[in-house]
Formats: sequence, C-alpha cells, structure tokens
Amino acid sequence: MSLLRAALDASAEVPFVLNTFGCVDRSSILAAADRLKQELADRKIQRLMLQSNDPALIVAALVACADAHTDLLIAHDYLDRSLIDRVIEDVGVDAVACQEAVNIRTVPGAGGPSEPASGKVLLMTSGTTGVPKVAAHTLDKLLDRIRATSSVESNLGGRWLLTYQPTGFAGLQVILTACLTSGSVVIPSDRTPVEFAEAVERHGVTHISGTATFWRSFLLAGGGTSSSSLRQITLGGEAVDQTLLDRLAAAFPDTRITQIYASTEGGALFAVHDRQEGFPAAWLDHGVQGSRLRVVDDELQVLSPRKMLGYASGQASPISDDGWLRTGDLVQVDQDRVRFVGRRDALINIAGSKVFPNEIETFLLSLPGIAEAKVRGVPSPITGQAVLAEIVVEKDTDAEPVRRATMQSCRSQLARHKVPSMIRVLSAIEVSPSGKKA
Amino acid sequence: MSEEAVLASIEAAVGEIAESKGAAQPKVTASSRMLGGELPIDSLDLATIVLRLDTETGKRPFEDGFIEFHTAGELAKLYSQS
Repeated sequence: MSLLRAALDASAEVPFVLNTFGCVDRSSILAAADRLKQELADRKIQRLMLQSNDPALIVAALVACADAHTDLLIAHDYLDRSLIDRVIEDVGVDAVACQEAVNIRTVPGAGGPSEPASGKVLLMTSGTTGVPKVAAHTLDKLLDRIRATSSVESNLGGRWLLTYQPTGFAGLQVILTACLTSGSVVIPSDRTPVEFAEAVERHGVTHISGTATFWRSFLLAGGGTSSSSLRQITLGGEAVDQTLLDRLAAAFPDTRITQIYASTEGGALFAVHDRQEGFPAAWLDHGVQGSRLRVVDDELQVLSPRKMLGYASGQASPISDDGWLRTGDLVQVDQDRVRFVGRRDALINIAGSKVFPNEIETFLLSLPGIAEAKVRGVPSPITGQAVLAEIVVEKDTDAEPVRRATMQSCRSQLARHKVPSMIRVLSAIEVSPSGKKA
Repeated sequence: MSEEAVLASIEAAVGEIAESKGAAQPKVTASSRMLGGELPIDSLDLATIVLRLDTETGKRPFEDGFIEFHTAGELAKLYSQS
C-alpha cells in the first residue's frame, strides 16, 4: 500500500476538500482511486494525463497511478489545446482524463512512453513563456520533505487555503501536505484577493502558503484583519522582500512565518523561519535539510536528493552530470546572509548596464504608499531597453502624489541606470496562473 | 498630435528632467540638438523622453528599428501625425 493511500485511510473521516458547495471526504477519494486503478489495469495504460484543478481528483489519480505503476502527468487547465497536444506527444501520454477520472480516453496512435512506466509523477512548469517543460518525479520524493515535517504538532489537522494553481508544483505540495497531516484543502469560489479573504473567514483557515504577490494582495484586500485562526504563513515561488516580511509579522504577530525555497525541477529544497529575507550564508558551507548549496557565477546551484529525475519533455536538463541543478536564481552573499537578486532570465540591459527588476521592485515596495510593484524592461531605440515601473498604491491613497514622490525617491537613491524611465499607476498588477507577477 | 504639440511635449519632458537635476530650464526649439550638449540630458534621459512620447502620442516610430534623428524638430516629426 502506498504511503499516500495509508495516510488517507488513517483519517478517512476527515473532509479533504472544503469549498463553497460543501466538502469531499477521504473515503470517496479512495473509492474513486480504486475505480481508476481497475480501469488503468484493464486497459494497460502506461502514462495517464489528468487535466483537472480538482484536488480530490488529483489525489485519487495519484493513489491509483501509484498502485497501478502508471505514470501520471498532471496538466494545467489554462494551456492552449495546441500546447497540450504537443506535450502529449513529446511525453508519450497514451490516455487522458479530465473532469471525471474514471472516464478516460486513449490517445489514438500514441506510442506510449519511451521507457517503462513506473508510477512516476510528471509535473509541468507554468508554461507562461511557451511550451511547458515536464519534470519527472517519484511520489516518494515528492512526499519526502512533507513526511519529515508532518509529525509537527501545529501542522496536524490544518485547514490549508489553496492559493496556488492546484496542478503546479507548489499547489501539489500543499495538497500532499494536507493529505499526510489529516488536513483539509480550502478552495475559494474565485481566485481573487477578496474571495481568498472570504474563504479564510468562512472555513477558519489555519495555514496559508502563497507567493509574495499573493500576500501583498491579501494584505491589500484586508485579509489581515480577520484571520485570527491563522497558525502558519508560508511564502514561496518568488523572491521575498524584508518589507513584506515585516508587514506580515506586524499583521500576524502570533503566526509562524516560513519562506520555502522550491521549484518544479529542484523539488522542495529548504525552509527559512527567522523572518529575514534570504537565507543564512552558513548553509553554503554545511548544506541544509539534506541539500547542498553553492554559488557559481552569482547563480545558486543545489544538489538535492529531492530533485527531479529529469525532463520527460525532451528539453536540455538544467542538472549537470554531477547532479547539481542550476536554479536560474542569482544571489548575492552579504556577510552572513545570502539574498536573491533576481532571475537570470529577467535581467534588463540598459545601455550595457545590468538591472534586476527584483532589486528595483524591492526598493519601490519599501517606499510609503506602495502596495505592489512590478518592474520590467521595455524596448528603447536609445538604450536598448528602458526601465518601466508599474505600481499599485495603498487603499485610500491619492495616486499622483505617491507617483511623484516615488520618482523623486528613485532619482535620489538609485543608481542612474536603475531609475525607471516611467512609473505607471495601475489598479492591480497582473498575476500569472502560478500566482507570480505576470 | 501636431509637430508643434510634440515639440512642446519634448520641452516639458526636458524641463522636468532639468528640474530634477537642479539645472536651469532650457529653451527647446526645433533646431535644438537632443544630445549635442546644449540640453541638460544624456542618453538615459533621452530614452525616458522617447518612452514618454510613445505613451503620449500612441505612436511607435522606432518599432521596426532605429531611425536617425539629431534635433528636437526631427524627433517631433517622427511622432507627429503625417
């Protein structure tokens, strides 16, 4: 019996999904898993793709596929049909399930996976910049870090607000954590700041894991005023700035605040609990939570037992032969702390000078009146690229004075080439399906 | 926007930059060379002015590549309705 099935079995009476319509209990998930397992065996399916945002269905498919040794590809529902078809072909999917897991249809002419199925879990990257990559994991490895922390008292019986896309790595971690800790997953009726805040109150949410962008919008929507039930705040997926950590600590003085460093390729790597941005530089020497870390050409590289097996979608692997993963995250070692400065691929080039959007965003967010900030490069005929800043001002704040004061602060405190050429005031910053700034 | 209106917009943008640098308000005419030293701006400021003109006029004259210009008048012509 798989670990996942055993965990669900052990607390079968605890509701797993809580939403506007009611709840789904664990025994019905196990029943669905049994039906699907039979179907997979009868039809000799090697690699199943599930395209659904329903956590109950995702868990049922995970249990069934683990039992049947079928590989499971968990696909995002927001991708264009052409991208999905491409992935199905590249990955060798031979059957597809959508809303009803037992109603699976086989892919005509599919050759199946190039290697034998073994119950692998295949996870997509967000795919916001083209064809998503598909990272192959084992269910055991995905559960590894959760298992290590699942005995912590404050984690048991939690009600987890699902802020992430359920089919992404972070969303799946939240779903699996709830599975292993007798917890429930709370689904808002709509993924907007107001509905998130409403769901927290309605269901007495105790744990929330979200991106830095989620937390800023949650605070902006007034989510900090009525969340007395909250025991755990977790941030991940994006660089976290000290201003946000301080605001969260002030809004939730008694709540544990954890920053998680994880990725679809690297798996869950480490957690930081000290409410300071970045992580201790000592970890570069000693490793942390089973992983080793190093900085090469300003990039953080990790050697982790929980990293993916490789891409099932054929792209070049970011993992070198000796097992180190290039994360694409650039860092700065500042005495005893390592801080994230930005993604390598987000770099802006202003007349030959490099600028990290993240650095300017962090600066903007530290200024008064600013609730959210997004910085990006736009093409310029003069300097190659120019810095464009978009800001959202705090509630009940006059935008124009903030914009002017912000420009003034940038000019007086930032290096010349980092000063935004333009600051636009928006009512909201666009968020990608993965919960990060688009 | 007419050429004159764009020119006025360039003058306003240059004026704002001059103010932020504590420089005297320059007079911008059609023959003022943008980077010729007579205006208190450098190439980073010029990138800012171009971005501002993009937004104000809704035109993107440089979208398909760089077009040679030297004076404020030549820049205004690129952004004016032809």
